Amino acid sequence: MKSKFVLAGNLAFLSLGDVLQLLGTNGSTGVIRIKSRYADTPGVIYLVDGNPRNAKNGTLTGLEALQSLFGWIEGEFEFNQEPVTVEKVIQKNRMEIILDSLRMLDDQKIDKMGPASLVKGAADATGEEVRIPFIKGPLVDYTCVVDEEGFSDGERITEEGKHGGWIWVVLEGTIEIVKQTPRGPASLVRLGDGAFVGSIASFLMEGTVRGATVIAVGNVQMGVLDSQRLATEYSCLSAEFRELVLSLDKRLRQVTSRGLDVLLGRDLLEESLEDKELLIAQAANDHRILEIINGQASIVRTTDHGKVLLANLDKGDFIGQLPFLDVGHEPHYAAVYGAEDLETRPLDTDSLRADYDRLSTTFRNIIEHTRNCISVTTSLACDSRKRKVRTQQ
Amino acid sequence: MAVLNLKKREIECKLVYYGPGRGGKTTNLEYIYRAFTKHVTGELVSIDTDGDRTLFFDFLPLGVGKIKGCDVRVQMYTVPGQVQYSSTRKLVLRGADGIVFVADSLEVRRKKNMMSLKDLEYNLREYGLSVFKIPLVLQFNKRDLAEEGIPLMPIEMMERDLNRQLKVPTFAASALNGEGVGVTLTECLKVTLKSLQKQLKWAQ
Repeated sequence: MKSKFVLAGNLAFLSLGDVLQLLGTNGSTGVIRIKSRYADTPGVIYLVDGNPRNAKNGTLTGLEALQSLFGWIEGEFEFNQEPVTVEKVIQKNRMEIILDSLRMLDDQKIDKMGPASLVKGAADATGEEVRIPFIKGPLVDYTCVVDEEGFSDGERITEEGKHGGWIWVVLEGTIEIVKQTPRGPASLVRLGDGAFVGSIASFLMEGTVRGATVIAVGNVQMGVLDSQRLATEYSCLSAEFRELVLSLDKRLRQVTSRGLDVLLGRDLLEESLEDKELLIAQAANDHRILEIINGQASIVRTTDHGKVLLANLDKGDFIGQLPFLDVGHEPHYAAVYGAEDLETRPLDTDSLRADYDRLSTTFRNIIEHTRNCISVTTSLACDSRKRKVRTQQ
Repeated sequence: MAVLNLKKREIECKLVYYGPGRGGKTTNLEYIYRAFTKHVTGELVSIDTDGDRTLFFDFLPLGVGKIKGCDVRVQMYTVPGQVQYSSTRKLVLRGADGIVFVADSLEVRRKKNMMSLKDLEYNLREYGLSVFKIPLVLQFNKRDLAEEGIPLMPIEMMERDLNRQLKVPTFAASALNGEGVGVTLTECLKVTLKSLQKQLKWAQ
């Protein structure tokens, strides 16, 4: 397979604008195909002598399609040298297309395709309209869906604090995640097609309490996942990987609660950092992956508006950035503080990676969705902090 | 980072005009495009960005000779300074080989100049470049407005404001009638090519 493409790579590393420039200066003729987990069909661009001739994205063709492809921030591209016979539809100059598309992207005239975006939500208590993040999941893998269930607008799918072990995937529609706070319910995020409700922790006896209320926004079609099958898969994983998955779940819950703390003006930062020392500084070049075997650690991000406590971690949790699962915390975007009695042991990345590569599509989707939720919730927490600092000024 | 195109035996490098909005970056490039028609290959691409315009064209500086037997082709850009245009800025600034900073001589724009220069430093740093190391030339634009009685900053003051630490070549200019545009460009090309030559030697 490798020899089939003359150029292939990740759009997160080399953006479409860069790819087009590179192939343009080279005067290449052939076809670029772009694949994204959030689109059912790949995007196609036809090049002749380095200049785009036509493009296709779903039902769009021509210049419009090419411009829309600039919104694919995440994805893979492949370029294949082959004779191109399509009609010349795109007349504009290459550089003009690149610069204009990027401008449209920055002006938000092109939709970004990725896991998260912002939607307008209801006004919060202060009357200020808050924008709620909207997270889309990857394409639904139907092999694990055993039943479908419909919910109408406003119906509660799960209730915070109640027990329930099912894991759902959103097949069609939008749902809202709501947490109870002393000041009334707070909407955290909205989830769209492909997103999951329920966590892997529900395979464990103690994990069946729902952490949030989920409400349908408009009519929603939900798929019930085959928990038996997922639980079996889970039990076949290595002990380290199981811990890792649980720790990821816990981190999401922690980031959510800490974010709510900021919103409610309860700042546990000082309390949490008491008796703790800096273990890994933010933006440090530290690639260790550690498991906590004793003591506590705190994850703290330093923003322009002060420090934000993201999570308090305990025994069994992991610290560090996994090469296959970047949650956007330590070491690049957060620091780790450890208690005096903190003891850790290094984890073997290679065996974790091997486990990850063996996962079924649905399982991997759940984990990636959790990761996306963590990074979105983190930015939510940092935003609340920013707003608070601003209102204080 | 210049691109070596072996197929065409060309070295392709990037010159970027940076500066506060409405300071004359586009006027500079438009003048060059018109006045140096012989050197220009390809058309002028102009994109309307909010409050400013982004320009691009290819430029073949004749008479600078060859580097290692390769012709030099220069991509000329202006870059939108506004915060929201991060994707455009990234494409333009990443791998820039030389920069012309066009400062506005109007007294009222003093602060804007300094802020824009700070911005440049910050943006360059994001792409792993340093404002102190990259070939850079300063241009004090709109000098002609003094005749119309509009208060301008004295050159010495602008030198103090912007060039105290940088210590790079500076030029007074009025881009509207083309004064100083050519010398700014030539000097910037000179320092850029010198630095390229150094890089290539080092790579050997």
